[in-house]
Amino acid sequence: MTFWNDILHTALLGTDKTDISPAGLGPDLALLAEQIGSQTSDKEERFLRIAALAFNYRQAGATALERPDVQPDTAPPEQRPYCSPVAMQALSEILAQEQSKLLELWLNCCRDKGQLARPDLLPALLETGADKKRFHKDVLACGGERARWLARLNPDWSVYSTPETSDEDIWQTGGPEERGSVLAKLCHTDPDKAREWLMTAWSKEDANTRAALLSTYSSTTADLPFLESLLTDKSKKVREVAFLKLQVIPASNLIQQYKEALKARLILKKEKGLLGLTSKFVLSIQPPPDGEEFPPLLVQSGIEKLSNKKEMTDEEYICFQLISYISPDFYTPLWQKSKEEIITLFTEDPLGKKLLPALITAIARHRDHESTRLLLSRNIIHSALLDLLPEEDQDLQAEKLFGSAPEEAMVYAQGKQKEWGPLLTEQALRFAAKDNYRYSKGWVNMYIDRIPTGAISLLPKIQPFPDLSGSSAGWPSISEHLQKLLELKIQIITAFK
Amino acid sequence: MDLSEEQILTLAPDESSKKSGKDLANPAKWVSKGISTRALWGECQGSGSKPYQTQIDLTNLAFKCSCPSRKFPCKHGLGLLLLSARQPALFQQTEEPAWVSEWLNKRIEKEEKKIEKKEAAAPVDEAAQAKRQQARQQKVADGITELLLWIKDQVRSGIHIAPAKTPAWWENMARRMVDAQAPGLAGMIRTLGNTNFFREGWQSEYIDQLLRIYLVSEGYQRLDQLDPGLKDDINSHIGFTINQEELKETEGSLDTWLVLGKQITEDEGLTTERYWLFGTTTRKYALILQFLVRGQGAQLSLTPGLFIRAELVFFPSAAPLRALIKRQVQADAAGEGEGFADWQQLTAATAATAGILPFANERPFVVQRLIPIRHGGQWWLKDDRQTMMPVKENFRKIWRVLALSGGQPLNMALIGREKTFEPIGVWHDHQYKMI
Repeated sequence: MTFWNDILHTALLGTDKTDISPAGLGPDLALLAEQIGSQTSDKEERFLRIAALAFNYRQAGATALERPDVQPDTAPPEQRPYCSPVAMQALSEILAQEQSKLLELWLNCCRDKGQLARPDLLPALLETGADKKRFHKDVLACGGERARWLARLNPDWSVYSTPETSDEDIWQTGGPEERGSVLAKLCHTDPDKAREWLMTAWSKEDANTRAALLSTYSSTTADLPFLESLLTDKSKKVREVAFLKLQVIPASNLIQQYKEALKARLILKKEKGLLGLTSKFVLSIQPPPDGEEFPPLLVQSGIEKLSNKKEMTDEEYICFQLISYISPDFYTPLWQKSKEEIITLFTEDPLGKKLLPALITAIARHRDHESTRLLLSRNIIHSALLDLLPEEDQDLQAEKLFGSAPEEAMVYAQGKQKEWGPLLTEQALRFAAKDNYRYSKGWVNMYIDRIPTGAISLLPKIQPFPDLSGSSAGWPSISEHLQKLLELKIQIITAFK
Repeated sequence: MDLSEEQILTLAPDESSKKSGKDLANPAKWVSKGISTRALWGECQGSGSKPYQTQIDLTNLAFKCSCPSRKFPCKHGLGLLLLSARQPALFQQTEEPAWVSEWLNKRIEKEEKKIEKKEAAAPVDEAAQAKRQQARQQKVADGITELLLWIKDQVRSGIHIAPAKTPAWWENMARRMVDAQAPGLAGMIRTLGNTNFFREGWQSEYIDQLLRIYLVSEGYQRLDQLDPGLKDDINSHIGFTINQEELKETEGSLDTWLVLGKQITEDEGLTTERYWLFGTTTRKYALILQFLVRGQGAQLSLTPGLFIRAELVFFPSAAPLRALIKRQVQADAAGEGEGFADWQQLTAATAATAGILPFANERPFVVQRLIPIRHGGQWWLKDDRQTMMPVKENFRKIWRVLALSGGQPLNMALIGREKTFEPIGVWHDHQYKMI
């Protein structure tokens, strides 16, 4: 279209500087342009007339490009059936509301049923899943051949067609987060290889990477020499992580020092009762002799010398911190008492009661099932201990916990990886109804996978808590939101039945 | 009336109405509901003591609700229609309650009164009207003289200076045209000023629009030498209106029209709705415009993908496109749209249009068996004759077209002109789907 380029050239520069030559417009236009041009002496008018003619000529002459050689790229035919319109309607709603938990459920149901999402929503599905790696496999499984084909054509969706990288490649070339997760996985499947990888890479990494990798590494007794050597590392971050690792290995020198320090401070003594006829064992704090230095290793490991709890003295607080790291098995040989007697001491003795939360932390940390059972027999339960119980007892105890420590019970409920039972659901929703700032619609979106569809019948029974602060005022709207999501959940489950 | 959820949602005036409408598509929200051949109705329990009475005229798709919302249709109307689409079994064919039949009868009465009023209208003082018309024509002519000078100034100094101008430069000339009672030209100048000077090829886009303005202006100065159709187009582009009631008196085109698409634009509180229609028998295309001032209820609700049996009257033009619905008989059954067989047929038609209307705007087209193809860094639509036309640049929805096509040919509805086309709908599995 050189004629049009001539027009543009003249238009850009202006008729003051250049003029259009009719002859340059080609055989079709030249004669007409000549005639039009001769009708006026006004340069601008002449240009506008000729340009209008060329504009009309260009529009009327627009034709399609003939390219028989350019052949379409076609998607392979699908091998599996499409899901129902009801399932598609649910998917459309999920994508519109950006409900990632329900999307996960939808994808799982569709994949398990061996069905496919219809093409209409594939672009939205691919777009939504593009930045969520955990969805990639299922999006492709449910999107079928058409989704793979689209992902191949759109550079924004190239993440779907990236071949699976081996763990070793990720370890060699991945980002810090990816390398950390590969290392954590390997610690469970092949601890020796994980150690070998870490040792090989250790000297080549910067301090931040070393600290990050170490924190994902599951250390064992075999790592003690390495971890203890890190206590003199130049990087404070690395030293801090090394201490954290040593604090969970009972055989570490650090824990031995904790034990020594505790042994010197916390003592069990026999006290005479009234008139000296009876006697009982009591826990007491024995302050270290004046001038004795507090072991520097303990300070470095994070043990505070000054209490930050007003109900505890400095010495009590030191013991509290030490107890939380030491295995409950330590006290039996020390005081010649059975585990049951030790638990009794910590639950009945005035000082023991103060220190009980630290012992509970230690029980959870060292996964001491026997002590958990003994605490439970005394109706003492803590969210940290719930996963040490048999699965069938966990919800039951959590429900009880809502009476005494609802915050802890909520922590348990939220941490649970399965759908809640009916009682736990009711307790959790009743508690959520009281604090809508924390348990908002966002909270509902986050935990909708744990809330069973049966909760729909509970909702009318859960009324907002009549408090003055107004933190319960938003519950009707949250409840309505939850109901909609539960209905959507029912729709998904029913559609793939 | 068989509407899909997607089609119903296109009726929503905004995103929040869509969301609220979906929430209300829940049987628990409706105290009562029913359906007849003429209407759909329901009572929705809102925050007040009395439920809101929502009713929908199914013959001419119109909504009424007793709620205080000024949106149209309100969330209750949308919710009720969505519920009937999702769960039709919930709606029992029953006798219309009094409040529904009263409304429907009132609508019929209103239509009749309109006709009576028209018949009884006061006689027009033709002499005064002609005087007013003459005065306006003079004003327009004066304005156009100034406009042509402004255009020539640009041509003389070159359009390379345009990107350096502030928006006020175009706006001042647009206002001058408003003063000259040529609002159509004012709009064309504003479009010129809205050229994206950062885009490659702005020069061609700018000169195209400048030439359109020139052609209309120059044409106005030679109205007596032009064909009647083109004369009407020039008057319409300048902003002379046509009495729509009189227009409705003329004979129309009765056909089953498919609503190809709906486009909404908003400018300073004025919403313009563009409905693109295609006559399945006459193979005519039509553009129905609806202008809404903020808060004003819409008279017309057409949903893309819907087939309506209606009589349309076209505004006089060399290549008629803009039309009015003279009467809507009923919603019709879905069908396939048989448009142009290939690009060659389409370009022959556009060449013919360009020959009689050199400043034509974008128009709708239905083309059969097009395949989206990537070539030379851009998307194209290829026909059965192995020829292809480019898709409008940065057309994000191409992925939906591709997903539905899978590389196979689809009949498509497009909007465009010359060499820029944008798909607005496709036929997939014998169903028209919006893009």
